[in-house]
Parts: sequence; structure tokens; C-alpha cells
Amino acid sequence: MAKNENNGWNDFDIGALLFSFDKETKNIATTLQEDRPYSNSNSFTASVADWRVMKPVFNKEFCIDCQFCWIYCPDMSIISRDKKMIGIDMDHCKGCGICVEVCPTNPKSLLMYDEHLEDEEALIAAWPAKEEK
Amino acid sequence: MADKIDLLDIEVWDGNMAASQAMRQAQIDVVAAYPITPSTPVVQNYSTFLANNQIDGEFVMVESEHAAMSGCVGASAAGGRVATATSSQGFALMCEVLYQASGMRLPIVMHVVNRALAAPLNVNGDHSDMYLGRDSGWIQADAFNAQEAYDLGLMAFKISEDHKVRLPMMIHQDGFMTSHTAQGVKTLSDDVAYNFIGEFKPMNAMLDLDRPATHGVQTEEDYHYEFKARQHHDLMTFAKAKTQEVFDEFETLTGRKYSMIQEYDMEGADIAIVCMGTSVETARLVATDMRTKGIKAGVIGIRIIRPWPFEEIKEALKDVKAVAALDRSSPNGALGMLYNELAGCLLQNAKPSILSNYVYGLGGRDLTKDNIKQVFTELKANADTGKLTTPTQQWISLNGEALNFF
Amino acid sequence: MLEIRWYSRAGQGAVTGAKGLADVVSTTGKHVQAFAFYGSAKRGAAMSAFNRVSDEEILTHEKYMEPNYVLVIDPALTYSTDITENCNEDTVYIITSHLSKEELIKSQPTLEGKKVFVLDCMTIARETIGRAIPNTPMLGALMKVSEMYEMDFFLENMKRVLKKLPQKIIDGNMLAIQRAYDEVN
Repeated sequence: MAKNENNGWNDFDIGALLFSFDKETKNIATTLQEDRPYSNSNSFTASVADWRVMKPVFNKEFCIDCQFCWIYCPDMSIISRDKKMIGIDMDHCKGCGICVEVCPTNPKSLLMYDEHLEDEEALIAAWPAKEEK
Repeated sequence: MADKIDLLDIEVWDGNMAASQAMRQAQIDVVAAYPITPSTPVVQNYSTFLANNQIDGEFVMVESEHAAMSGCVGASAAGGRVATATSSQGFALMCEVLYQASGMRLPIVMHVVNRALAAPLNVNGDHSDMYLGRDSGWIQADAFNAQEAYDLGLMAFKISEDHKVRLPMMIHQDGFMTSHTAQGVKTLSDDVAYNFIGEFKPMNAMLDLDRPATHGVQTEEDYHYEFKARQHHDLMTFAKAKTQEVFDEFETLTGRKYSMIQEYDMEGADIAIVCMGTSVETARLVATDMRTKGIKAGVIGIRIIRPWPFEEIKEALKDVKAVAALDRSSPNGALGMLYNELAGCLLQNAKPSILSNYVYGLGGRDLTKDNIKQVFTELKANADTGKLTTPTQQWISLNGEALNFF
Repeated sequence: MLEIRWYSRAGQGAVTGAKGLADVVSTTGKHVQAFAFYGSAKRGAAMSAFNRVSDEEILTHEKYMEPNYVLVIDPALTYSTDITENCNEDTVYIITSHLSKEELIKSQPTLEGKKVFVLDCMTIARETIGRAIPNTPMLGALMKVSEMYEMDFFLENMKRVLKKLPQKIIDGNMLAIQRAYDEVN
């Protein structure tokens, strides 16, 4: 659990438990992640961006919104709205590449690049062509 | 809505039925159980009540005691009133999950019908399983007869479910000697019993979707120690205070008095036996008999084993010259648990009593009044001479050559 | 304190009998205890059950007992078990057997000079209840020999104890108790 220097033995909630949210919530299932009052101890408030060596880059042009990447992502880092893939949550993506593996389009709509390559527009401009079979 | 049962003022119940009736009157939401002798009838009676619409709840049959306690943990974390029962090998298999239940601060009530641990296989009563649970973080209460199994069975929910306490509680009774012995049990009506216990008030329930909680988190060297300290603190302070408070309320309601330790004939006692379970009652008879012969003998029964009643015992034994700790569990390489715990108490008294240890009754071996008379006789010799006149540990009523140590 | 020791085979209803007796006695304000030893805990295995009755609260939990009454509800146990264990000269034996009292004592000489009563609980049970469950007839015999309670009072209370059983079985038990009361000698 998240370490807080001020937590003495008498400062915890009893029981080995953590609350996901700082306050009571209503209809949490229909509230978007960014609108939820996540508590500090919830993993949503922690970034694992620096774990990445490679990162996925999303090319909207070829995406068919099949949602495979959304289903398979082990860190729930594919952002989808109204069943449309709109991007990647780069705070929680660890760069595992599963989304690229499961992407069914030709060429793929997601490809892995070195983390340090910052110019994504250039990467998309140089996107591979359709592979002839 | 469950049908009520009109009970007689005094019902002839064995300890198992007494425990089941307390569970019924508490209107438990979930029982997850894997029946085992001699506690089988506790959950069997419960399932009969359920089938007869005398309770609103769920009976979850599982594949082992490990799963039984796991089911209880799940149901309790979800936010229900939960109880179960077990004995012996089943208790041993539950052990891992007992620590989960107490660490997660889940107010599960469990009737433990004490039975020996194999090998050799034995279904009869001793305190091996009770001793096995004593570091598990549960509140442990001991019933000496069926009446007390019923009374403690009602009180347990009130103690355990208190929001400052929130610790699971075991109620022990002796296998067969209590569990299968029918005696008169003074009852409370269903309404009076339920009102005494009160509605279950959930706390941090997993099924509270407005405030989702993650139960059973991991802590490493950062906070594990603090969590355990908090748990120990709450057991030592809140659980103890609440237990006494509930005992007092119960006395007001029924006139039946319970305390951390039960003292019998202890006024001005020179010698005393400290023991647990049905032995307390048999020893009381002998002490009273001794008193008529001018020997100032008394008995202390340990009602609450955890949290250990350190101050109470210290005080009760401060003027007693010789004390015997009777352990109904093989210490397997040490002096008995009661001996060691009592020694800790006595050490702080100005004149520590001369303490001796008797192992007895393993696997249901009878403890007779004659056995107890012999212990008192030896205690008297210790008191009269001012020193230990016997070996420190003796095994009584044992076939073959005398066995003793230290 | 009144102490009773039952000899039975698991399945013949000694525990039910002992608990039923305790139940009835309890309604008169006395303190009761009923318990059993199961041994190997299989149907047919020899076992013993116990009753204690007292005006005072019963504190003893020792299994050791010097019984006032010994009730034997399986005929063979008179021979295969020492039913006289820890008994004294006042102990009363009520034994189920097809033999007469004289024949029984002749066949088991340890009963010589003892206070022995005999009846055939097995036959009574078969003819009244329809099954060889000899526990309730033994209670009828005990009522006669001990003069513990008036028969009407006892029958009424046994009806309450047995109330969960089908009416036909309850009626059979009532007949069995009465016949045993009349036939024991």
C-alpha cells in the first residue's frame, strides 16, 4: 500500500482494507474514470509511465474500433468512448505491447516505438504501408 | 420473515443445541460450514431451522474447513452476520484463514467444540484445538456447560460486531462433555434475545457500492507491523472493555453473571485450581467439599482466554499460597500453556504462589472428583510447607508408570 | 442425586431415552443431565448413556458413576458387558430379556443377590411401535420400579417429547410405555 510518513499504528482504518474513493459515490459504473474521486491509495492516482522502455503509438487512420486492444490491455490503459478508441492512458501504460499484438488491421493501428522518440506526428507520417499477402 | 419458536423457560438442550439456538436467535445471514464431530449438530440444527423457515439466511456447504472459514470471511466482508462451528482437525485446517479473519477485522462468531488432535485419531474432548487458536487474534471465550454455550453464543455477536472491536470470536465448549450432554438451559424468548443482540450494523461492507473497499490488502515492512499493533491494541483494550460491558448488560437482563475469570470459593483461599471447560464445575464440587473439611480451597475458571485476563488473575491469586494449572492439552515439549500464562501473572505479585502443572484428560480421559481431590491434597502440602513438594509437571490419571517433569 | 446408567446398542435409542427422561424430569423443576459414550460410533456397537437428577444444580462432569439404576435395553449386553461396574448393593437393575428373572440370574451369576427387574422390551416394542426400539418401554418400566412419577403425568410429557414423530408412532410408544409398566417384575 502507499506509504505515508504520517501513518502511525493508530491512524489506519481497521481491517486490512483500502477505500477506492475519498467520498461516497453514486452510480460509479457510469462515471468516467477521470471524473471519479479516486483516493490516494488507489492505483489510478499512481503513474507507472517511467516503467516503459517502448511505447504504443496509435494511428487513428487504420483503426476499425474493434476494441480488441481495450479488452486485452492488462492495465486498462486504452481509452475508449462510445465504443470508439480515442487514445492511450500514458500514466498507466507499461509498454507491454499486447495491444499491438492483438490489433487485427493491416497495417496495424498500434505500433511499438522507443520511448524516447517524441515526435509522434513524424512516426505516424512514416507509418508502414499495407502488407500484400 | 422467519417463524419464531416458542421456547420453554428451561429447555433440556445439549451444548450443540444451545449453540444452534443462539445462532438462530441472532438470525445469522450466512453459515458456511463443513461439519465435523463433535460440532456437527451445531450446523446441522441450523440447517434444520433454515429448512423449517425458522431463520432467514443462507447455509453454504463447502468442501473443507479451510473453505468454510474462507466462505465466512467473504460473507462477513460482504457485510452479513456470519457464524460457523468446527472441531479438532477441522479447526486445524481453518488455522490459516483464522488469521485472515482477525486481520481483516471481520466479526465472525464460531462455536469450537473442543476435541483432541490426531494422531492417534480421537473424537473426544480435550483442549488441543483451543490452544492451537490462541495466537490467531480471535476473542476466545470458554463455556463450562450448555447454559454458558447458549449465553456466550448470544453475547458473542454483540461483542464481536461492535464497531470499535470488529474482531472474530470463538466460543469453546468441551466435546461430548458439554456438546452431547443435555442439561436444563434457561432460555430467552426469540424477541428478547434478538433485541439484546441488536440488528447487524455493517462496516466497510464490500457490497456497499457507494463506498467500494478493497479488503485483504498487502503491506510489507512499511505497515504490516502497524496493522498488527493496532489489532493487538484493539483486542487488549476495546474487546476487553466491550466484553465486560456486554457481560454487565446480560446480567441486568438475565441475572446470570459473567466475568473475565470465574472465581469459586476463592474468598480467603489458600490453595486454588485454575482450569477450563467442564473441569471447572467438577473442581468446584471438590473445592466446596474441601471447604467443609476446613481446607480453604478455591477454583478459578478462565472465561476469556484471549484477551488474557492478566490483571484479574494477578489480583485473584495474590494471597493464594499454592496454585495448580490444569492443562487439557499436551504441551509437547514445555510446561502447559496455563502454567506459563499463570507464571507470568504470579511473577508480579509480592508473594508469588507456589505453582504446579497438571496435564490431564487428553482424548476425553475422565477427570474424576478423586483426581481433583488428589491435586488439592498436593496443593495443601505445598501451601503448608511453603515449597513445591511434587514435580512441577505431572500427568494425572495416566496408565503405566508415573510421568512427570522438572 | 439420582444416577442412572443405560446399556444399549447405538441405534436402539438409549440417548433419546435418556434425553427424553431428562426432558420430562426437567419440567418438574429438578436439575438434569443426560449424556452418552459412543465408543466406535457405529450402529450396533455397544454404548452407554447416563442420567443424573438432582434438586441442586448438577456440577459434576465426571463419567465415573455409582448408579442408582442400571437400565439394559439390549439383552446380549447383560453378558458381554460388566453392567455391575461401580455399582453398590442398593443399585437396581432393570434388564430386557425374554427369560424370567430366575432364568436370567441363573444365566448371569454376577446378578445373584442384586435387585433385579426383568421385562421383554424388544417384544413389547415390536408389538406396539412396530420396530425393535426398546427405549420407551424401558422408561415405562423405570416409572413402575422407581415410582418416580404418576403414569398419567409421564405419558402426557412423553407425548410432548415425541411430538415431532408421526401420530401412529407416538400412539405406539404410549402403548409400549404402559405395557412395560404393567409387565415389569
